[in-house]
Amino acid sequence: MHSTIVRVQNVFGFFTTVAFCVAGVIALSVFIHPQSPSASIKLRNVQVVKGRPHYYSYKKEEYANIKFDLDTDLSTLFNWNTKQVFLYLKAVYPSTSASNPASEAIIWDAILPGAQAPWHQNHYIHPSPKNKSKPKTKKGVKPPPIYPVGQIHLQNQRPKYQITDISGKLQNRTDVVLELGWNVQPWVGALVWANKGDWGMWKGVKGGVSRKFSLPEIGGKAKKEDVATEKGKEGHRLEVGGEHPVGKKGF
Amino acid sequence: MDQILDQARDVFEGQIDFEGQRLAELITNVLLGAAGIIAFFVGFMAQDIKLTLYIGLGGTALTFLAVVPPWPLYNKDPEDWLPGHAVSGINIDVDGKQVG
Repeated sequence: MHSTIVRVQNVFGFFTTVAFCVAGVIALSVFIHPQSPSASIKLRNVQVVKGRPHYYSYKKEEYANIKFDLDTDLSTLFNWNTKQVFLYLKAVYPSTSASNPASEAIIWDAILPGAQAPWHQNHYIHPSPKNKSKPKTKKGVKPPPIYPVGQIHLQNQRPKYQITDISGKLQNRTDVVLELGWNVQPWVGALVWANKGDWGMWKGVKGGVSRKFSLPEIGGKAKKEDVATEKGKEGHRLEVGGEHPVGKKGF
Repeated sequence: MDQILDQARDVFEGQIDFEGQRLAELITNVLLGAAGIIAFFVGFMAQDIKLTLYIGLGGTALTFLAVVPPWPLYNKDPEDWLPGHAVSGINIDVDGKQVG
């Protein structure tokens, strides 16, 4: 510590040690925040249609369009170290051969920001219930939330993604369930997935799986609005090799 | 000219005495450690992780300010040279000049 340069180096060196230790303690502190997530998922309507993966494809595949109700309270997932929660709803169905594990496909997802997260265009904005008037929001300003952080109540929600199978065949599948999953993305520390069982102060998710249902046979020509998908804000962007940024995906 | 250069070097190097070095080390450890602990607990109580970040960075800036410049506090016990004493029987010769 005899000269200025040595003192700068020593202070900075000890600062990195302190910063690392504080970050470690923050990462561990989330385990003493009790969690008790709950979710109820109901199937509303399911249709299977034939379609093509893209406009110039010769191959025709079967696509399932699943509408659902979702009531979930994930507010306990939000603590001081939660940056955002990536929430997704997946359809889980047995594969065609019994030796393979069940197939999973995401039909809907949302990014739920924590209290400290700065505004971002891809954050999920909860749709207002039908009977209420839509609050006006300015661009770049956080709109006032309709429900408390982490609560979602959706009725007859359209999926964001139509799903297909690797075999291209999806009609008449049985034992399909909808299951809610999430990632808790912290500011500092480990990425945590949804836990099914209790783990310390963290309770496993209550509910979170729909009842079993079957995919129907391909019916007559489905109405276009019946098989429309919802697009998140992140869908309104051009990507390499992609189509134009369109509001709704048509088949 | 030499005097000015010497002064400039003294300011740049910022030397402190031995007691000052011990004190500077102590102050570094105490200030940074306290800043880390306070930052965590204040942030945890307020459930605001940005508070933790800013308290931690503020404490670090304070430590730099307190320790890096050669404050007079760190030069209170200068170590003096031993007094010179005559040595006989040795001839020291530098470039043909007698120096000792």
